[in-house]
Amino acid sequence: MNQQQLITDTIRRILHDLCTKEMVDSAEQGRWPAALWQTLEDNGLTLAGISEAAGGTGGDLADSLLIIREAASVGAPLPLAETFMAGRLCELAGAVLPAGPVTVAAGSFTLAATDGGFQLSGEVRDLAFGQWCTTLVLVAGNAQGQHLCLVPMADVLQAKARTSTNMAGEPRLDVQLDLLLPETAVFASSEDLQHQLYLLGAATRSVMMAGAMTAMLELSVAYAMERNQFGRPISQFQAIQQQLAVLAGEVAACQRAADALNTALVPLNELDIAIAKARIGEAVGSATDIAHQVHGAMGYTMEHTLNLRSRRLWCWRDEYGNDNHWQQLVGRLVVAAGADKVWQTVTDAA
Amino acid sequence: MSPPASRLQSRLQSHAAALHYPPKLITVATEFLYGMNAMFQGLQFEPVQLPPQSAALRAEVRAFVEGELQADYLRNSDFNAGESVEFSQKLGQRGWIGMTWPKQYGGAERSFLDRYVVTEELLAAGAPVGAHWIADRQSGTQLLKFGTEEQRQAYLPRIARGECYFSIGMSEPDTGSDLASIRTSAVKVDGGWVLNGSKIWSSGAHMNHYMITLVRTTPASASRHAGLSQFIVDLHDSNVTIKGIRNLAGDSDFNQVFFDDVFIPDGSVIGEAGNGWEQVVSELGYERSGPERFLSAFRVLVEFIREVGDNPNEAQLALIGKLMAHLITLRRMSISVAAMLEAGKTPITEAALIKDLGNTYERLVPELIRLLVPSETSSRFRNTLHQCILHAPSFTLRGGTREILRGVIARGLGLR
Repeated sequence: MNQQQLITDTIRRILHDLCTKEMVDSAEQGRWPAALWQTLEDNGLTLAGISEAAGGTGGDLADSLLIIREAASVGAPLPLAETFMAGRLCELAGAVLPAGPVTVAAGSFTLAATDGGFQLSGEVRDLAFGQWCTTLVLVAGNAQGQHLCLVPMADVLQAKARTSTNMAGEPRLDVQLDLLLPETAVFASSEDLQHQLYLLGAATRSVMMAGAMTAMLELSVAYAMERNQFGRPISQFQAIQQQLAVLAGEVAACQRAADALNTALVPLNELDIAIAKARIGEAVGSATDIAHQVHGAMGYTMEHTLNLRSRRLWCWRDEYGNDNHWQQLVGRLVVAAGADKVWQTVTDAA
Repeated sequence: MSPPASRLQSRLQSHAAALHYPPKLITVATEFLYGMNAMFQGLQFEPVQLPPQSAALRAEVRAFVEGELQADYLRNSDFNAGESVEFSQKLGQRGWIGMTWPKQYGGAERSFLDRYVVTEELLAAGAPVGAHWIADRQSGTQLLKFGTEEQRQAYLPRIARGECYFSIGMSEPDTGSDLASIRTSAVKVDGGWVLNGSKIWSSGAHMNHYMITLVRTTPASASRHAGLSQFIVDLHDSNVTIKGIRNLAGDSDFNQVFFDDVFIPDGSVIGEAGNGWEQVVSELGYERSGPERFLSAFRVLVEFIREVGDNPNEAQLALIGKLMAHLITLRRMSISVAAMLEAGKTPITEAALIKDLGNTYERLVPELIRLLVPSETSSRFRNTLHQCILHAPSFTLRGGTREILRGVIARGLGLR
């Protein structure tokens, strides 16, 4: 058994046992799924693909993308993508990520040197899972360049925070940061960490969407085969078959676009990430449309698990740049190269 | 197991060995979360990279095409849009037709991935590949797979030299998607068969040498797929009549072909009589998965980018990015299928899926671009766009209609 297969089997078994509908529902009521996180962490799955020097458990970047994709396919309400992104930034900046769930903030922050440390300020908006995390990782700038900051969430939550949830009922946090960081929590870097953070966000959201859409296809095929109308399973109607064939095409394209990211993170391949976020984000509209149509009113209920995927997909397609944003980025790269290089761009994207 | 290289690996190994995490009873709710993972694994498009040595081949083809095509040549990347005997023969001389076939039949014994590189370079450049296209892509492949030794020797070297062209003889006036309902039939006579009936939509039949013709050789029985055979019909036979049909773009590319007591010698039956359906079905992976299924509108995109120039607006940038994201993803999927063909698989569902997605895409390209054209455009751009719009209805018909393809995909999903 190769490592990818071993990881797939392990994470599926853990999710299968612990990431139940009841657990996801209770997370929506505000309860942190501690047992699920702890089990994943104990098995080395929360920081796979991150070097041990940076606090990770090693392995390939493709391993972590696989884990994030599998967890997303069942709607696991955990900051796995954020923790991975933070770990990757720690690798780049020479920092060591503390244990526990971590979140990242993509905004603009300033850092001013003071006696024995730095004053960090800025506004955090829609911080993912902030209430449940132990550490916030963000990139702040000053005249010396970009710095990676490791901020204990306990300090962040000293300030008055506005809590909310996204469309999927996952916790989000808005807070004004104005706090003192010790020098040991700030890491100067010559890398463009802001850029890295945004691209890693787009890449992880892309694989998450691919995972959730694959699950929606599986659910839709299963439902069509068990739901009877007019005396036969609705899967026997051509109108349904043709819709599911379209969904299968979109899902296959999304899977292939997501697979391309296995080799796109180091070195960072902006075009591949932009293609994935644009192509996959665009597919969410028609894919959720078909999956919900096939499921009928049942799929529109809170009780059915389809919404654990569709509501997340409607969030993820807009986070870290919507499809239009990334389409424009691809367009800019292509136009800059000129009409006679279009085909070259296509064939270079192996 | 080898010593662990990382903490992740060590934990996974201990997990696998000692059941560090013991399984529990499955609840109904978790079954719901998992759908039917165990039964349905989705469609596989393994990420495949073209081999590094294909870069040299690509450069060679690109340079050749640049040298061959005149600067004022109005390029179109539809494989059906232009043909040139001279161009096909030059490709044959370079070993770029029948590339995957054994050398003893004039082939080059190269991989499907090498063939992929050549075909996509030719299409992207809008080269006139129409003469040899069908013979190279499917007729020769059919003869290699199912034909007799005499047939392989008689036809394959000529096809590979770019000198011998084939038409497809499947559709009939009353038979389109429902291929098993064909009426063209043959009766056994001494030394061969006598063929009567008619085929339609046969591209290039007026210029080509032969047609692989699907024929009913025993009356239809309960199994509609039994009793079909494929014949190699000489299109220059005096009992064959070819009538051109103009398409809506004004081209006389396809034809209706009539057979009036055409004698077919036994040696022109492909493989064994009665095997026709199996032979036809085996073509589909080759016919439906290639770059011609999503590149037909490629020159419209290129000329649009030329028109937009250095000053694109946001909507134009987004459209270019969207069309490129689709194109690059389709190409990656198509290369995955080329690798499956290379591995000897018959990826019929995957091929149908690529054709459906690809045809939908190439229909979309002119429709979306026309809405965002700059106020002043060149006649070159307008010609390219208009030619594409006029031919676009054929994209989702030829080689299997959209509806048939989606039926094939639905079967692959286990729905029928």
